[in-house]
Amino acid sequence: MPPAEILIEGLTQSCIYMTMAFGMVLVFSILGILNWTHGQLFMLGAFIVFYSTTAAGIPFPIGILLAGLVMAGIGILIKKFIIDRIKGELYIGVATLALIFALEGAASLLFTSDDRGLAIILPGVLNLGVVAISYQKMAVIIFTLIVMTAMYFVLNHTKVGLAIRAVAQQPVAASLYGISTERLSLIVMGIGCALAAMAGAIMAPLYPINPFIGRTPMIMALLAIVIGGLGSLTGAIVGGLILGFLHSVIAYYISYLSEVVLFGLIILILLVRPQGLFGASAK
Amino acid sequence: MLELKNIWVKYGKKAAVRKLSLSVNKGDFVTILGANGAGKTTMLNAISGIVKVKKNEGEIYFKGEKINGWKPGKIASLGIIQIPEGRKLFPLLTVKENLLIGAYLRKDRKGIQQSMDEALTLFPVLKDKLNAKSRELSGGQQQMLAIARGLMAKPEMLLLDEPSLGLSPLIRQQLAETIKEIHREGVTLVLVEQNARLGLMLASYGYVLENGEMSLQGKTSDLLKNDDVKKAYLGV
Ligand SMILES: Nc1ncnc2c1ncn2[C@@H]1O[C@H](COP(=O)(O)OP(=O)(O)OP(=O)(O)O)[C@@H](O)[C@H]1O
Ligand SMILES: [Mg+2]
Repeated sequence: MPPAEILIEGLTQSCIYMTMAFGMVLVFSILGILNWTHGQLFMLGAFIVFYSTTAAGIPFPIGILLAGLVMAGIGILIKKFIIDRIKGELYIGVATLALIFALEGAASLLFTSDDRGLAIILPGVLNLGVVAISYQKMAVIIFTLIVMTAMYFVLNHTKVGLAIRAVAQQPVAASLYGISTERLSLIVMGIGCALAAMAGAIMAPLYPINPFIGRTPMIMALLAIVIGGLGSLTGAIVGGLILGFLHSVIAYYISYLSEVVLFGLIILILLVRPQGLFGASAK
Repeated sequence: MLELKNIWVKYGKKAAVRKLSLSVNKGDFVTILGANGAGKTTMLNAISGIVKVKKNEGEIYFKGEKINGWKPGKIASLGIIQIPEGRKLFPLLTVKENLLIGAYLRKDRKGIQQSMDEALTLFPVLKDKLNAKSRELSGGQQQMLAIARGLMAKPEMLLLDEPSLGLSPLIRQQLAETIKEIHREGVTLVLVEQNARLGLMLASYGYVLENGEMSLQGKTSDLLKNDDVKKAYLGV
């Protein structure tokens, strides 16, 4: 067994990958496309919380909400002005890929590419005997629990949630009964992008912030989606959980080439279950 | 009530529906016959707004309003509801949730509950399955759910696309009775059927669609006696 700190670190990473993957799958289930620039929304979320707490003195929790709100707006603009204007999944994919460089470039111009650090907002450690968790990491875990519970509630107990599930399963019939796919697309894009930004924001005090921090979480979220089974929200959550742990545990045992081992393991999982853990098997 | 005037629908270059006209009055029960690929579904989808009929490619009127180009939801809110081919249920939603989607455009909670009660009276089998996922139902039950979901919208006009497809003769008979019942309740019906005999027995007026064009129309009692219809669609 690796030391408990590593497992805690793994859990923290899991939380982020889960939140990212969940948002991407939600968008995918309605729009039918993967938003490749999800990681850069994570990065921008971190910057928003950085500047709102350091420059504007806004309290950290409000900063997180602000990051979510602003990036929800940006997500909706991306949907309206980029995704909607392009025909064909492939071309939309290329456009959102291009956004990775556009957003990273813009962030480098605005904020330079230097590392910045946000001081720990919640100092202190909770000592549980066997393991000590810093309050800052606990905040990440609790935040994720709240977000996931809220998403569960919205999807299963609200009218808009019912509509989202309906469109994801059978868009034609949904439109026959008056559900506007267009409106729902904007809503899920807003939610998905807000989740990514808030994930970046909640992580901001724990790691250095620079324009390129979105890349790893994005790749990990994608892998989580693939392991979980593309299209499955449960899969995104479980995939994220697995990946966070694998990532930190492997890195603990072998610091060099840990990513290679990680990808190797993922390929192994997919060899056994090509459709992912929760994906429908392609018959 | 519903009037199609010379409509065209093209998929790419190929026209699936050509210069089609059709007229349905309030309270009518109309059937549309036609072979595979004749354009029946395309016609219903044109009415529902799933496929768009361009301004210069014909006109569709409902209660005096020109509805081509409208979004499906807006057309549905006028009271034209389609029960699509192949049922198109939401497989992972429960029976109850499927029914609620049918009432998505309605705001009257009480009315929705009343429609739900009525639907369950019409299809008692669904009552015990309210919390089952719709994909767990049998074929017949799924078709009943598809119709019940449509009724939840409180339609004035129901467009039924091959509801009898894949059902056993016994279930098909039950379905026929239910459709008659729905018509008696005052819903105007347009029934598309490949099972021509069933359509002609139920409806009072019929149209025959061939390669996207209306080739024949008349009272169903006359169509049943028509030699071409007999040969092509009734197998006698
Ligand atoms: N989405 C589509 N794209 C291209 N062609 C289509 C599409 N839908 C239907 N068609 C073509 O249009 C023609 C009419 O099809 P339609 O589905 O309306 O026929 P139908 O009378 O409902 O047939 P069926 O009895 O098999 O349901 C067919 O030649 C079909 O191949
Ligand atoms: Mg058809």
